[in-house]
Amino acid sequence: MREIHYDSLQLTLYRDVLDNGLVVYLLPKAGFQQTFASFTTKYGSIDSQFRLAHQPQVITVPDGIAHFLEHKMFEKERGDVFPEFAKLGASANAFTTFDQTTYLFSSTDHVLENTEVLLNFVQEPWFSEQSVEKEKGIIGQEIRMYDDNPDWQVFFNLLRALYKHHPVHLPIAGTVESIAGITPDILYTCHETFYHPSNMMFFAVGGFHPEALLAHIRKNQAAKSFGPAPAIDRVLPEEPGPVSEPNRTVHLGVSQPRCLMGWKDAKTGLSGPAQLAQEMLTGVVLEALFGKSSDFYHRLMDAGLIDQNFSWEYECAPTYGYSVLGGNTPNPQALVDTVQSLIDEAMKIGVSEEAFERSRRKAIGRFIATLDSPGAVARSFVSYALRGADVFTTIDVLERLTLQQVNDRLREHFAESQRAVSVVLPA
Amino acid sequence: MPDLGTFITQTDGRFAVHLLSTDKFRTRYLALKVARPLHRQHVTALAMLPYLWMQGTTTLPSAREVLRYADSLFGASVRTLIQRRGHQQVLEVQATAPEVGTFNGADAVLEELESLVIQLAVNPAHTGDAFPSDHVEREKTLHERRIQSVFDNKITYALERSWEAACAGQPVGLPRLGYREDLRALTAASLWSLQQEVLAESDVHFYVVGKLHDEPSVAAKILNRLRQAFGDHGRGAAGSPVHALAVRRGEVQQVVEKQRVQQGKLNLVFRTGVSYGDDEYVPLLLANGVLGGFPHSKLFMNVREKASLAYYASSMLDGLTGLAVVQTGIETANRDKAYDIIRAQVDALQAGQVTDDELEFTRRGLTNQYRQVLDQPASLAEIHFSATLAGVERDVERLIQQIGEVDKAAVVDAASRFSLDTVYFLTSDAEVTTGA
Repeated sequence: MREIHYDSLQLTLYRDVLDNGLVVYLLPKAGFQQTFASFTTKYGSIDSQFRLAHQPQVITVPDGIAHFLEHKMFEKERGDVFPEFAKLGASANAFTTFDQTTYLFSSTDHVLENTEVLLNFVQEPWFSEQSVEKEKGIIGQEIRMYDDNPDWQVFFNLLRALYKHHPVHLPIAGTVESIAGITPDILYTCHETFYHPSNMMFFAVGGFHPEALLAHIRKNQAAKSFGPAPAIDRVLPEEPGPVSEPNRTVHLGVSQPRCLMGWKDAKTGLSGPAQLAQEMLTGVVLEALFGKSSDFYHRLMDAGLIDQNFSWEYECAPTYGYSVLGGNTPNPQALVDTVQSLIDEAMKIGVSEEAFERSRRKAIGRFIATLDSPGAVARSFVSYALRGADVFTTIDVLERLTLQQVNDRLREHFAESQRAVSVVLPA
Repeated sequence: MPDLGTFITQTDGRFAVHLLSTDKFRTRYLALKVARPLHRQHVTALAMLPYLWMQGTTTLPSAREVLRYADSLFGASVRTLIQRRGHQQVLEVQATAPEVGTFNGADAVLEELESLVIQLAVNPAHTGDAFPSDHVEREKTLHERRIQSVFDNKITYALERSWEAACAGQPVGLPRLGYREDLRALTAASLWSLQQEVLAESDVHFYVVGKLHDEPSVAAKILNRLRQAFGDHGRGAAGSPVHALAVRRGEVQQVVEKQRVQQGKLNLVFRTGVSYGDDEYVPLLLANGVLGGFPHSKLFMNVREKASLAYYASSMLDGLTGLAVVQTGIETANRDKAYDIIRAQVDALQAGQVTDDELEFTRRGLTNQYRQVLDQPASLAEIHFSATLAGVERDVERLIQQIGEVDKAAVVDAASRFSLDTVYFLTSDAEVTTGA
């Protein structure tokens, strides 16, 4: 077990790689009642085409299967897994993103036993015809719930407009039609391929003793046998540089329009520390330009084009990257035109030293605040770690940024060919 | 130091300061809560005031200046909001800032943040006896959109509508944000005069969670500031402690609403007549948990896992009004099927069909939830504030202890308090679409 010290954060992180390839990170936090533990596979909604080593054929699985699998892991021949956690006083959950599936529990007691339940249920697939069919009804209602949610709709329509082929534009849960084709056999194939320990990471944060917890995890894993790690070759369709469609509009039963503008990174392929740096850099640009204490934010507010929901985000992964800006607006077209003219103005004059410093300080403050939430720490640590980056270096990365980099990134990112707009209008 | 989540309270007339000293958090949490009884007449104007506060103070006269000033305090974040707590409307300023106790001058920065939180509420920008008219016009537009956005999130909307229907005609049934149709009549002067009333006639609570030294003197200092800021001569307004709504006799109300939706929302509202201050509250909390608080609960197991009718099916208990709301999202055609299953679960609970596992899992689940609260400054303050409004002294440790002591008979007894009041159904209809 290796200890990694972050002196300025007063944190010590413990890391180990088990014989079966599982990477374990433990972050003890003195004084915390709860322990938050997560078990994550590098497998999400975009992994719908893949090839196994030495096999020529590409396997294509139904859209939404990673999320479906996440649901089905909670059911075993002996019954539901939730009561096993409930018995130990833990609260369990799971979530699926574009490129990861996470299973988690939080508890204030029985950390070792709960860890055992977590490791075991995620590594013991059991699927039956009947239980798979039953789940289609439940997930069908989850999809319907998102169908009625304007914020969800405007976001996924933006991704559809930005990406022509890359599966990041598909809804994570799939569609009622796509999940209809899911069978136990396909679920077993996906589990076998993507849930090998060498494709997974265990992370825990909270009030526990790292030595005891690690010993427990080691023992649990040593008692199981896994085949050799499958060499997974993820197949992604060729994605053109520019956006797929500049505009998408849908109608929903809502009272006011939603409007999001997005910019797609033409160049992708960053991973590890470079990806974290790109994310921080782009975040500083967006906060400086459109954060709540920026001039532009207040100009848009004064013009009556936005409300407090107006926000930005930037997502960067090895095969895709995009920024999103927007929210509720009475007049989508005017918002788009005004934001574009503000960006044109910014490209000319650049971000000021003062706005840059303010934005960087804000990012540091936000990062420190997440350290108080074990759930937030776990989510961000794992999501970066699986991409080879260390979220606890965030402050160093931010402190190294220069104004020159900020302005270069500003001029590179907001290209017209990379922009798409998604609008939800009242029906 | 022991982390029991126990606040130290000092009061002086209508002012109360609640301090929790702990060194486990990286951020400090501050909240100013100004409480007044809900009234139809003022509900909308009061709901708007905290948002107007964020538009600027006399010394920081615009929203941008407020936010930039907060940024300069080690990147503090400040927000204002309106809450509905039982029959009280609570105007609130919250702030968080990194704990920077090791830096020179940090104490001064934290005092400045304290001062900002108070100034936002008591010294908003104004011209003579009125809020600046541009602030008011802008906030009226934004508030209208805030009210409308409740309509756009169908889960929240269905919850709000079923709640309003169950409490119709009573202050607790007033919408948190007020009414769109009230906005036109509000003026810069009428809002300003209400602001003066708020300062003079409200109960004022100030919370701090963070690294504190010598709490009694910190509390005394803050009390002094509050007295100066709000005025010595005012009086409290909240009146009697918040208590549960009485169970209503007679027919169950049926409310059906039609909109352009993909998924129906079926909510059942129960009155229990039991609130946070009552002895039966803790057994009721367990009864609600057995019914629908967890993935092992009756609703999740039967509506979702067995019948495959819903993605979510849960029950939420409001400790101040004693209302329990069952919420589900279903295929509209399955309305009767879902209704029957939900009723059957409540009947089973009331008939004492509670297994040892169901009770124990719920007890452990609730204990876990409340222990986790000890790690969350904002939730700690909220729970303490609920108890204060209900007029009881019950900190989280005491609550956890009581959860551990309740037996099955008491849970089943408490379950008999569930009395169905309102059935609300939001359904789709191709022909009919309602506006906001």
